Amino acid sequence: MRFPVPSRLHNWSARLVISCLAATVFLPGAMLDAHEIGTTRVSVAFRQSASYEIEIITDAAALVEKLQALSGVPPQSDQAGENASLHSAAVLQMLLKNYDQVFRRRVAAAFDGAAVWPSIDYAVSGTATATSSPVAAIKLTGAVPQGARHFEWTYSWTFATYSLTVATDGDTQTTEWLEGGQRSTPIPLSALRKAPRNRAAIAVQYLALGFTHIIPKGLDHMLFVLGIFLLGRGLRQILGQVSAFTIAHSITLSLSVYGIVSVSPKVVEPLIAVSIAYVAIENIFISELRPWRVALVFAFGLLHGMGFAGVLKELGLPRSEFVTALVTFNLGVEAGQLTVIGAAFLLVGWYCGSRQWYRRLVVVPASVLIACVALYWTVERLSL
Amino acid sequence: MISLHSQSSMLGRCGRFFATLILSSASLAAHDMWIEPTAFLPDAGKIIGLRLRVGQDLLGDPIPRDPALINQFISVDSSGPKPVVGRDGVDPAGLVRVAAPGLLIIGYRSNPSPIVLPAAKFNQYLKEEGLEAISDLRARQNQTGNDAREVFSRCAKSLVSSGIPTEAEADRALGFPLELVTLKNPYTLRAGEELPVSLTYEARPLPGALVVAMNRMNPAAKLTARTDKNGRVTFRLPESGMWLIKAVHMIPAAAGTNADWASFWASLTFELKSPATGAAAR
Repeated sequence: MRFPVPSRLHNWSARLVISCLAATVFLPGAMLDAHEIGTTRVSVAFRQSASYEIEIITDAAALVEKLQALSGVPPQSDQAGENASLHSAAVLQMLLKNYDQVFRRRVAAAFDGAAVWPSIDYAVSGTATATSSPVAAIKLTGAVPQGARHFEWTYSWTFATYSLTVATDGDTQTTEWLEGGQRSTPIPLSALRKAPRNRAAIAVQYLALGFTHIIPKGLDHMLFVLGIFLLGRGLRQILGQVSAFTIAHSITLSLSVYGIVSVSPKVVEPLIAVSIAYVAIENIFISELRPWRVALVFAFGLLHGMGFAGVLKELGLPRSEFVTALVTFNLGVEAGQLTVIGAAFLLVGWYCGSRQWYRRLVVVPASVLIACVALYWTVERLSL
Repeated sequence: MISLHSQSSMLGRCGRFFATLILSSASLAAHDMWIEPTAFLPDAGKIIGLRLRVGQDLLGDPIPRDPALINQFISVDSSGPKPVVGRDGVDPAGLVRVAAPGLLIIGYRSNPSPIVLPAAKFNQYLKEEGLEAISDLRARQNQTGNDAREVFSRCAKSLVSSGIPTEAEADRALGFPLELVTLKNPYTLRAGEELPVSLTYEARPLPGALVVAMNRMNPAAKLTARTDKNGRVTFRLPESGMWLIKAVHMIPAAAGTNADWASFWASLTFELKSPATGAAAR
């Protein structure tokens, strides 16, 4: 097989070539084939059916190389140093912005078959090393046309298989695997356009989410509350500590959700484990509640609040009922904690709490067990 | 057997690239897969990333490490073969430390993956990859108009050189079903010199197979050749920089594989020194 190579290439022919490339280089049309899964992923979110946000995460240098090829820019040399420009996140981001018009040629968001013209924001982060590559996060945003019934998506800047995830307002997600150039199956917007839920429904949902975050999902928080319970002599002391904990975590939960306070989970999660271990170990060595204990529980409550906020952010808060969801989630957490204490009181505190052997046979062994688990979590979370 | 493109010196680099891309637009039915190390000429002691790429004309997308796909992922140096490590789901798919100066052979063999291609696309791909024997077989069986169920396997290699290359260091067979092996150390060559390559299928020379070589700077100005009776081709490589040599072989799929055809995709990447500088830049 031998391909002819033209001996000359004039300006007009170069323009013709570019036009041809735009039409032919990357794979058009639906395909049945399945190639290797690449690093590109696309997520689509509809906001109350009024606007859409599409995020494309992809390898920045690979995308720029293709944009340059389609624009007629020769590939970078392999020689070290000469291709350094494609290693810089700032340069890649600038190039992506410059190639905006070229990029749009191979991307199609359509409602009822009619393509829309989104606003596109390009961001690149990360550095090129032996172990990593700069990643592009490309956001396409716009308004959903009134009365639109279906959404379709086509992305032709990858040769690999990629995932298209569609979500609405933090509710369920659906994922479709697509080839580069393959059009998605039409996504019915009616299925996404659920009737707006009323305040009571949202309150019940987030109350349940808060409760289940403690029971059964929050074993670490349960052990912390049990640690508080074990040192309490009587309901008053227990509720004093629980109140301090509640006030504290309510403060940081609210501040974190509003973005006023932000601490990495890599810091918060190991510290939460340390706080559980501390309370349990202290239970072993002191038998009476000291004033500093309440202050410490308050401080630990600030930490746990940031942990709750991380979960709440993952769950997502409906914009229309932000405060309702925040307050009811917090109430759900309180209900979970009080349930743990109530159950512990009924199981051991009520009958055994005043017995002489209670500390020796219940408080100390249980605290040792909690401390061991918490220390294990501390090590585990530090290694993540 | 040698088939060379004109070096087309009258064309500027940019113009040649336009030309090459127009040619490449005809070759869209199937995707190549190759290994692209983060450095072809690393210093001893350095760690290099091994990116797996799938694409066309050396424009490719990174493929993260997928343990379900990996059949073999190894590096071979003078001390023998070692598994290539990496984090699942991450690009680059592999990391290797260049322990000592010398030639390092990287090999990636995938497990078979199923694919279904419409008849037109499959027929076009057979033509592009020089698989006329399969086209003829389909015609004889009245299958030309049928969609094709295929299982494909990747057999990718890359050569990395550290220190001063010697002719004594040589590429060698890793035991892949379809395998390209350079019969000279390409790091001892310069642009314009000849590189003999052998192609084997199940460790035996594969005659009559189409082998294609392309340079990163001008990927559609392909060098093409059919292997001789000893399964060999020789390319005169006109340009320095990264080269990809590739070949595809197809056989009827074994019974019970739920496929009609089994294809094997061999690739080999390396970097060639510039004739002007004498030694490739690092």
